[in-house]
Amino acid sequence: MKRQHETNPFVTWSCAVVGGAICLYGLHGLIRALDGVISRQFLQWFVGADLAHDLIVAPAACAVGVIVARLVPTSARAQVRAGLFATAIVIAIAWAPLRSYGHASAPGNTSVEPLNYATAVATVLLVVWALAGGWLVLSTLRRRANRSQVDREPRPPSLNR
Amino acid sequence: MTDRQSSEPAATTLGTRLKSLQHDLFRSSLHDERTAALLGSALGVTFTICFATGLYSHFAQHPPSWFLLPSRPAGLYRVTQGLHVATGLASIPLLLAKLWTVYPKLFTWPPFSSVANALERLAIFPLVAGSLFLLFTGLANINLWYPWKFNFPIAHYWAAWTTIGALIVHIGAKWSITRREIRPQRAPTANGARVHPVEVDAVTLERRRFLGAVLGTSAVVTLFTIGQTVRPLRKLALLAPRRPDTGTQGFPVNRTARAAYVVDSARSPDYRLVVTGKVSRPLTLTLDQLRALPQRTATLPIACVEGWSTSQVWTGISVRDLLTMAGARPNAAVHVVSLQPARSYRTSDLNHWQAHDPDTLLALEVNGEPLALDHGYPLRLIGPDRPGVMQTKWVTKLVVQ
Repeated sequence: MKRQHETNPFVTWSCAVVGGAICLYGLHGLIRALDGVISRQFLQWFVGADLAHDLIVAPAACAVGVIVARLVPTSARAQVRAGLFATAIVIAIAWAPLRSYGHASAPGNTSVEPLNYATAVATVLLVVWALAGGWLVLSTLRRRANRSQVDREPRPPSLNR
Repeated sequence: MTDRQSSEPAATTLGTRLKSLQHDLFRSSLHDERTAALLGSALGVTFTICFATGLYSHFAQHPPSWFLLPSRPAGLYRVTQGLHVATGLASIPLLLAKLWTVYPKLFTWPPFSSVANALERLAIFPLVAGSLFLLFTGLANINLWYPWKFNFPIAHYWAAWTTIGALIVHIGAKWSITRREIRPQRAPTANGARVHPVEVDAVTLERRRFLGAVLGTSAVVTLFTIGQTVRPLRKLALLAPRRPDTGTQGFPVNRTARAAYVVDSARSPDYRLVVTGKVSRPLTLTLDQLRALPQRTATLPIACVEGWSTSQVWTGISVRDLLTMAGARPNAAVHVVSLQPARSYRTSDLNHWQAHDPDTLLALEVNGEPLALDHGYPLRLIGPDRPGVMQTKWVTKLVVQ
C-alpha cells in the first residue's frame, strides 16, 4: 500500500537548518584539514565507499536473496538468509586480521592480532550456523504444533460435509 | 508536435519502466517504511552514541581552550572509548540492513518531487557516504590497517560532523513517517475492528525474522569483540585484534620501543628526568634517584583509542609530589616529553586537575615488576581517565606551565 508522504514542516526545516549548518561545518573542517592530494584521496574514499555499496554490495545482496529464494524451501529461507548475512558481516569484520594487516603495520608487536584468525572465524561461523540451525528446528517444531492444533480444533458445521 | 509534448511521454515511459523494474527486482515486502523506520531509529541511537563518545575522545586528545578533561572517574575514558568502538562495530549490520531496505528508493523516478524533497535526497549522499566511510575507516583503524594517505583521526573527526549533520537533516525529513511507523501497529480488519497484536500477518512475521537476524548479527559481533575491553569476556574476543591479557607483561603494547626508535636511549646510563619550566627548583634526576623517591601504587586502566583496555597495578612517583619538590604553582599544568624522536604522540599534556591528581604517576613498575622496554621503561606516564596515546612512554622531561 502506498502511503501519503507526510511531513511536519517545522521539524523538517528546523532540522534542515541545524543539520545543514553542522554538515557544512564538517565539510569546511575537512577542506581546511586535508590539503591537495590528500583531500582528493579522501574524496575518493568518501565517494568510493558509497559507490562500492550501491554498485557492488547492494546488488550482490539482492542477487544472493534471489538465489536463496530459488534454491531454499520457504520454511528455511529466513534462517539461511540470516546465516548468510551474519557470515558476510563476520568475514568483513575479521578481514584485516585474517589478512594479517596489523602485523604488517606493527612488525614485531606480538600483542597485535595474537590469535589464529582462520580458526577464530571458523569458530564464530560455527556458532552462527548452530544458532541458525537451532532457530530452524524451533520454528519447524512450532509450525508443526500449530498445524496439529488446527487439525484438532472442531470444524464449523458448514465444512463438515 | 512540440518538444515539450514529445518529452513528457518519454519521461512517463521511463518512469513506468523504472517502476516496473523496481517491482520485479525488489519484490521483498521488507523494502517498506516500517522496516526502514525501525532500523533507522536503531541507527539514530548508535550513531548518536558513537558521535558523543568520539567527540569526548577527540577533546581528550586535542582539548580546546574551554574544555578541561576531568581526571575522575578514572575509568571514564575506558567506558566511553570501549562504547565508541563496540557501538560502531554493532552498527555495521544495522547500517547494511537499513541500506538494503531503502535501496529501491535509489531508483525512484522522478528523482525528487519538490524543493524540500530535493534537499532531503541531497542530504542522503553525505549521510550514506559518511556512514560507510566512518564505519569502514574505524574498523580499519582498530586493526591498524591504513590503506590511505590521509590522517585517520582528522578525516574521521570531520567526516563525523558531516555525517551527523546529514543525519539531523534526514531525521527532520522522516520525523512524521518514523513516528507513525515505529508505533505498535494493529491492522484493521474488514469490518473496521482491530486485530489483537499477537495475531501477526505474514509481512509482520517476515519483518520480525529479518530484524531478529540483523539484531542477532549485531549481538554476535558484540559478543565476539567486546572482550577486548570487558575482561571477563576476553576468551570470547575471537574477532578482536587485541586481547587485554596478551602482550609483554600480560597486556597489549601499542607502539614498541623499536618502532618508537628508543631502544638505545631508554637503556642509556645517561638517562635523566628533567623537571623544568615555571618552577623555583628545576630538577634533574637519575633513575636511582627516582627509585629512591616516595613511591605510590594505583590500579589504573590503560584504554587505547582502538578500543581495547585493561587495568594494571602501577607503582611510581606521583607527578603532584614532583611538582611540589620543584616548587611549581598549585594550579600548574604540565607538558610531558618522551625520548621518542619527533613524531605523533611524542608529547602529551596534563591539565591542572590531571597533574594534581595523586594517582597521576610516572610509573617505574607494573604489577610489581620493573616496566618492560615496550611498556615505557624506564619511566612512563599513567594517569586516570586518559586515552592510551596520552599515557606517554619513555618520559624524559616535564615542562611545568
